[in-house]
Amino acid sequence: MRPDRVRYEETSGDVSASGTDPTRQRSAELFELLGDSARSESDRAAAREDLVHLHLPLVEHCARRFRNRGEPFEDLVQVGTIGLLKSIDRFEAARGVEFSTYATPTIIGEIKRYFRDKGWAIKVPRRLQELRMQITTTTAELTQNLGRSPTPRELAERIGCTVEEIIEGMESSNAYATLSLDATDDGEETGGSMLDALGIEDPDLEHVEVRESIKPMLDQLDPREKRILVLRFFKNMTQTQIAEEIGISQMHVSRLLTRTLDQMRVAMQDAL
Amino acid sequence: MPAKQRTRADVELRLPADSAYVSVLRTTTAGLAARLDFPIDDIEDLRIAVGEASAMVLPEAASDTDLTCSFYMTAGSLTVEVSVEAPFPVQPDYDSFAWQVLSTLATRAEADTSDGRFSVKISMEPGEPGFGP
Repeated sequence: MRPDRVRYEETSGDVSASGTDPTRQRSAELFELLGDSARSESDRAAAREDLVHLHLPLVEHCARRFRNRGEPFEDLVQVGTIGLLKSIDRFEAARGVEFSTYATPTIIGEIKRYFRDKGWAIKVPRRLQELRMQITTTTAELTQNLGRSPTPRELAERIGCTVEEIIEGMESSNAYATLSLDATDDGEETGGSMLDALGIEDPDLEHVEVRESIKPMLDQLDPREKRILVLRFFKNMTQTQIAEEIGISQMHVSRLLTRTLDQMRVAMQDAL
Repeated sequence: MPAKQRTRADVELRLPADSAYVSVLRTTTAGLAARLDFPIDDIEDLRIAVGEASAMVLPEAASDTDLTCSFYMTAGSLTVEVSVEAPFPVQPDYDSFAWQVLSTLATRAEADTSDGRFSVKISMEPGEPGFGP
């Protein structure tokens, strides 16, 4: 969305003509005042304050777009206001851009960041969540029958949906990965003890002399992640085989591998 | 080399040479592999491999340049080449863990440092077990 001129009033009945000409004029006056170093500090602070109030409907407008995502509207307005404050402080009227045009991405960015920090980068619709679960179970089923990992088309045929939907479902699976960044468990576990998956003195690692440099990093990994990594990269097992061995879904193996490699990359860079 | 490797890429993608954009590349790769009807295992491996390959070339990129990605598709294979402008590329360390990861995930992986570019090319040919060369 590129609002050259945001019409805040269209989404909320009682907002005064904010976003329309008088508002823009008032906004321009206030910015001039704010940027006028000849003015007293208190005058400028008052102008800033007025600007915040003047453009609050813009924040509400932005926040409204994120309704129904499980966060109270008031909270979204609050974080959006942080974006507004940042925009006011950084705005340069001389550039000739409308303030609303300039501020909208910052406000939305702030709200999105809030969602991200809350752990859900992307809200996966229920339909996709269900599809994701279907893909997981059907993948396991077909792997059994076929003796190999199924293709998207085979999954689509079995589930009775389109290949496009399978691809979408796989993507949502990956979006879901960000959820589990801080949580090691995402409910897909079979309840088997972590210790079951843990080799005491992991024999797989013994014959990996070349990898001496990564050993300290491996040791810092969660035991299960380490095991998955070793099985995939030193024992050449497929994701499906690993999934079976550890008792989680193949998608989950994929997510854990991606995450572990990312962690190791960061650790390696830090070590340099 | 796959027998029918074309010289012109079927799909090309140019992104800022910034790790923030790698997820776009991962998603695109998985999407293409899915359209070629690769097994899920291979699609997910390729998704990870492309991330690794990007992580390998990105640190060598000259500032404010692009990450270029070329995809070559045939019925049974997908080749992805990620490359950056790199005036002074470091020779890749084939003993590194990153290479171990790449060569395990992909059917083939190779690096090239010529013409002021650093590129890593990975191919996936499902049907072959994922054993190294």
